[in-house]
Amino acid sequence: MSQRQYLTTQVRVALALAGRGLRVQLRRAQFLVPSFMLPLVLLGIISSGTSSAAKLPGFPDTGAFVGFIVGGTIVQGTLFAGLTGGIAMAADIEGGFMDRLMAAPVSRVALVMGRIIGASTLGAVQAVVFLAVAFVFGARYQGGVVGIAETMLLASVSAGACAALASAIALRTGSLQLMQNLFPIMFVLLFTAPAFFPREFLNSTFRAIAPYNPLTYVVEGIRAALHDDAALGDPLKGLLAAALFMAASTVLAVLAMRSRVRAS
Amino acid sequence: MSAVSASTAAVIVEDLVRTYPGGLRAVDGINLQVAEGEIYGFLGPNGAGKSTAVRMLTTLLRPTSGRALVAGFDVVKDAASVRRNIGVALQEAALDPLMTGRELLELQGALHGLSRTASRARGADLLGRVELEDAAERRLATYSGGMRRRLDLAMALVHEPRVLFLDEPTTGLDPASRSALWREVRLLNDEGTTVFLTTQYLEEAEQLADRVGIIDHGRIVAEGTPDELKAKIGEPALHVQIVDEARLDEARDLLAPLGACTDHAEHGVMLRTAEGARAIAPVVRVLDEAGIEVQTVEVEQPSLDDVFLAVTGRPAEEAQPA
Repeated sequence: MSQRQYLTTQVRVALALAGRGLRVQLRRAQFLVPSFMLPLVLLGIISSGTSSAAKLPGFPDTGAFVGFIVGGTIVQGTLFAGLTGGIAMAADIEGGFMDRLMAAPVSRVALVMGRIIGASTLGAVQAVVFLAVAFVFGARYQGGVVGIAETMLLASVSAGACAALASAIALRTGSLQLMQNLFPIMFVLLFTAPAFFPREFLNSTFRAIAPYNPLTYVVEGIRAALHDDAALGDPLKGLLAAALFMAASTVLAVLAMRSRVRAS
Repeated sequence: MSAVSASTAAVIVEDLVRTYPGGLRAVDGINLQVAEGEIYGFLGPNGAGKSTAVRMLTTLLRPTSGRALVAGFDVVKDAASVRRNIGVALQEAALDPLMTGRELLELQGALHGLSRTASRARGADLLGRVELEDAAERRLATYSGGMRRRLDLAMALVHEPRVLFLDEPTTGLDPASRSALWREVRLLNDEGTTVFLTTQYLEEAEQLADRVGIIDHGRIVAEGTPDELKAKIGEPALHVQIVDEARLDEARDLLAPLGACTDHAEHGVMLRTAEGARAIAPVVRVLDEAGIEVQTVEVEQPSLDDVFLAVTGRPAEEAQPA
């Protein structure tokens, strides 16, 4: 088999696994709730319960308050898309399905990439759903189609990065129970980024942590893209942060995958 | 070690060891060879090291030491080639319950490099072969244990492997499903597929395997054809019943030159002889010439149960899960 044929096969395998991951995700209620329902519930609660924050001095003008916080909802969705991807991988390990995959003549990178591509696709789909729901409740997107496309790209890469990190943990531990207990950590990542309020509105501790959280740049980039306002953030910086996050997490996941064969 | 030629061996295992963290030596230096086209039964109680050995042979686990070649390829140095040539149906049919039978077969095809069209065609063929066409679009959660096993087998066959590993394929199945799976395994073997079958069922090994290796505490404690193994632990017995009880002593004296004779039961003599069933004719002739009327002659072979007891020190029923 030539190098080109080998690569083509591995890409096809990764896409087949991504398709399988998405199908299973959409068929499993326990994954649908955190991926779609929880972010929407939080969007509803925050947009109605804290909307007066938009009147505070220094709060950016993005039209309806829901138009500002939908960026945070999208990032929350990407976190959950990634984590549920990791949970699904742990379920595959505990249930033995991972053995079936690993006994096939497939590169370990393709096995990890399948999970990442699945989560990335889900992240993009979630972004469209959340933007549509926020639009119904008054959000408007000055960035237009280009801004929405940039948002989908940021959501997609961010979800892939979270899935890679969650997969690395799943592969290292092989524990479904541990993965299910990681939900609180997702909230730590979410709230140490300026997900629902501008960075200046965070308390000093969170404000100090925020620059080290890649999701900070992702959510600010999404806002800048949606509202076509460079003062809100930088989509390119967001993409770079998400891409670096994804690259580092993917390396961890591939290393974890390789070590499974030696250690299991 | 059997007399399988290395050049025709589908599986060669030399001094294979796997030690787990904590020092547990799950596989403790096993040696075996499986010939092309053979069904090799790997028999042992739970925890004996069967699954660990199979995980090493299927590249899912690295050996601590030793060497194993499957389909001519080293399981460590050329794991990808091993994977291209083996089919694996693992214990308890690890199948995603949210996927349909057809989706799983097509995914398996993709994993083995088949195009989408080829995967679909092969999947349809295999669904027919294992009689699951009607259930093809149903999710696995609705399948019975037997249906899952059949699908698992079909998935292992997607790429027409040279060596098929079946890890306890009938555990938990009802007798009808078990028989159906046995038929399919025999058919595959008739078509030339080498089968490495792990089982804890003696009957399964006896029914299917050309040769059997018995593993206990990580070591192979006996190996050979079922008949060879049984012969090693004792000779077959002929239970001869005569009509006239008064002539029992006379019958025993007449049969003594043919083997070891003991009283069997009322009207009966038990004759142990390596000749087995071949001794029936001489037995009947000797007694007939003396005018002693024979009522019945039954041949009792030592069973694999007896072999298992002899080599592991405990009966198979104790070794099997409840």
